[in-house]
Amino acid sequence: MSAMSAILIALLVIGGIILLLIILFISTYNRLVTLRNRFQNGFSQIEVQLKRRYDLIPNLIETAKGYMAHERETLEAVIQARNQAAGGLQTASANPGNPQAMQALSGAEQLLTGALGKFFALSEAYPDLKANQNMMQLSEEITTTENKVAFARQAYNDAVTSYNTYRQTFPPIVIAGMVGHGQNAELLDFDSEQIAEAPKVSFT
Amino acid sequence: MSTDFFERQATAHRHTGRLVWLFCLAVIGIVAASWLVAFLAVDYVEASNAAHGRPNPPGLAMVPLYVAIASALLILLGTLYKIVELRGGGSVVAEQVGGRLLHHNTSKAAERRLLNVVEEMALASGVPVPPVYLLESEESINAFAAGYSPSDAVIGVTRGTVEKLSREQLQGVIAHEFSHILNGDMRLNIKLIGVLNGILLLGLIGAILFRVAALSGSGSSRKNGGAGLVLLLVALAVFILGYLGTFMGSLIKAAVSRQREFLADSSAVQFTRNPAGLAGALKNIGAKLQGSLVKHPHAAEASHMFFAQGIQVGFTSLLATHPPLKQRILAIDPGWDGKFPTTASSQATATAPATATATPVAATAATAVPAAMGLVGQQQAAAPAQPVADVAGAPGQVGNPTPDHHLYAAQLIRSLPDQLTAAAHEAYGARAVIYSLLLDQDPKIRDRQLQTLDQHSTPDVVKLTRQLIPIVDALDMHTRLPLVDMTLPALRSMSTAQYRTFVSCFQELVAADEQLELFEWILHHILLRHLKPQFERVRPARVVYYGLQRLGEPCSVLFSSLAQVGHTDDQAAIAFAAAKGVLDDVPLQLLDSSDCDLPQLQSALDQLAQVAIKQKERLINAAAACIAADQEVSVREAELLRAISDTLDCHMPPLLPGESIAPVAAAGSAQPVKTS
Repeated sequence: MSAMSAILIALLVIGGIILLLIILFISTYNRLVTLRNRFQNGFSQIEVQLKRRYDLIPNLIETAKGYMAHERETLEAVIQARNQAAGGLQTASANPGNPQAMQALSGAEQLLTGALGKFFALSEAYPDLKANQNMMQLSEEITTTENKVAFARQAYNDAVTSYNTYRQTFPPIVIAGMVGHGQNAELLDFDSEQIAEAPKVSFT
Repeated sequence: MSTDFFERQATAHRHTGRLVWLFCLAVIGIVAASWLVAFLAVDYVEASNAAHGRPNPPGLAMVPLYVAIASALLILLGTLYKIVELRGGGSVVAEQVGGRLLHHNTSKAAERRLLNVVEEMALASGVPVPPVYLLESEESINAFAAGYSPSDAVIGVTRGTVEKLSREQLQGVIAHEFSHILNGDMRLNIKLIGVLNGILLLGLIGAILFRVAALSGSGSSRKNGGAGLVLLLVALAVFILGYLGTFMGSLIKAAVSRQREFLADSSAVQFTRNPAGLAGALKNIGAKLQGSLVKHPHAAEASHMFFAQGIQVGFTSLLATHPPLKQRILAIDPGWDGKFPTTASSQATATAPATATATPVAATAATAVPAAMGLVGQQQAAAPAQPVADVAGAPGQVGNPTPDHHLYAAQLIRSLPDQLTAAAHEAYGARAVIYSLLLDQDPKIRDRQLQTLDQHSTPDVVKLTRQLIPIVDALDMHTRLPLVDMTLPALRSMSTAQYRTFVSCFQELVAADEQLELFEWILHHILLRHLKPQFERVRPARVVYYGLQRLGEPCSVLFSSLAQVGHTDDQAAIAFAAAKGVLDDVPLQLLDSSDCDLPQLQSALDQLAQVAIKQKERLINAAAACIAADQEVSVREAELLRAISDTLDCHMPPLLPGESIAPVAAAGSAQPVKTS
């Protein structure tokens, strides 16, 4: 082997490796972006449903006010929790997947769920309210919306999981940090030990 | 330019073929040129070595070959990589240029209007409703369609378009994008970008090698017999060739793109019969400072897919992917005075002069409106047979929706109960809509199906499904397949895990009644066909057969099935003969109904999906002749025809029910009238 062909072969090999690395880099980066877009779009579906839920709650409280005059504290607690959750949603939607924003939202949601649970439990004691057509419709719609949120949340969490998993596998983990994908996205979990169940509403 | 869908598709295929050849020639030329440069460089080094009495390094003679092989590999690799990437589907492209998926329950009226316009347009052309992406940070007026086939197509729209255009103008823009989808332009473009990317990669690598060689060569080049010099020259040449090739390729691509744009414009006008809308949108672009330019860094990759020029091009209009604005406006509005509206945003509602008459407006368009209105309130039990005229004209309408279809679609959407549309528009409820469509009429079977659903699905979905049952039962049968089309964008937003659960529930429901019904099969077929590309890898159908002579068997299965649906045995023979009359060169045999069950029909269709576009036209003509043979078309027949044309990638607008557009007597003959 002469120096010439050795150099040449070495250069070709190096060139080939560089080329492969470039392609690998680009495709990894694009994949990361695609996966992130996917879970962000997933979050926007949750957002739509949560917004709907937050819009329904004031109507619910307004309807209940006339019947539950003595439970002002509970009603106010619901409204307050609702406002807090709406604020949390706003921050979270600007920054889906961000751990702080997601935890803040899920904390606020848990509070709201708790407050609503208490409200519905109390409302059991008011048969007139339970028989109110408006109230029946609203609580039915709130339950449906909660189911929709759960479904959208599942899709979001699936997308986040596949993003995180991909990010942590071998070739991507090398470059993920360099190109702004250094952090795991946060799952969105609304259930906690204290409030394991969604408010049960029954109007039978 | 042809108004016939099949002709346009065929043209697109021819264009693709010719261009791919042109590009192949260019690639061969580039590889040959790189070989030649390397050869000359080696020659020079040999000569200079001889002059200085130095020995030639062995292996020097092989350098040109190495260089040629390396550049060929590079181009191939770059091409394949890009094509694979772009096949990821339209949503990937839309997200790369910064699109945000729009949802129906958005609070912004302008966004809802856009979604409605897209939905109407999709139902009118018989394609699945594409998801819509909003490019939020783009103030300009522009839009694009991306994807490999109608199943994974998406539509992207800039915020400027949503906010500054009137509904009519928006319709013009969306119709333009739909004709890109229907004319097969997206597929053509993906191939072009792929090869261009390969050539560009060659240039890039050349540039890198040139730098490496220049660095290493400057230090110690003299002693190794000029190897450094050879490399330097070769790298320089590859670099120049790569960029030159890219430039030439871009020229070709831009030229084709401009032609397809004119075609899309004229198809859009033909579709909406409203030149003023499209012209108004174009004029608004002309009037705007920000025009149509899209700022996103990835915009260049999708530049040819945009509605109007999306990226700034350099010194020459030869590289423009779109024809000049004025030329486009004049093509659809010859009476235009050449002035752009000055206060464009306030102009939104007032549109162009009524003198714009690029296409003759069919005199029948107005009379057909009441026909479309007749749809509302027809009950399932009455499931009306359609006059033959509609079906006879149907093959000519493939990929060619008319304003009547548009009206019909809008009417149809409005006729659906709110609860149903609301459910169909989000993934959660869309599943329940599909489940409820699958339920059998027989209460016993229905009970069994609901029990199955109880076992395999979550209680809240079952509850929702039960709530939807009375609504779905009361639906006009015509609306079933459009309803499925409406659910598709929502279903596409499920996660892969949710998709799997959904499909298994779906299959359990189909299996629960222990027999595969025609409608179940159609639903299964259409739904999976359009959902699969989103979640699984699917091979796009390739053209394998250019004639039908060898396909006697699948054709026999197809037309025997068609003839037996909605016909008695005697009629079936007549219907089959009608199909045979159209396909006179194909050995057709009327099979027993036991010999053409649904699985067989499925495999026959899969095989027929691989025929060339001109043969597909004949198949659809024959199918229309077959179901029209007895002078009436039942909903089942119409749905089957729709499923068949869908499999063949020929998207058929819905058959218009009620009074016919043309007098029935005129279509007395079973021969389909080809409208063109």
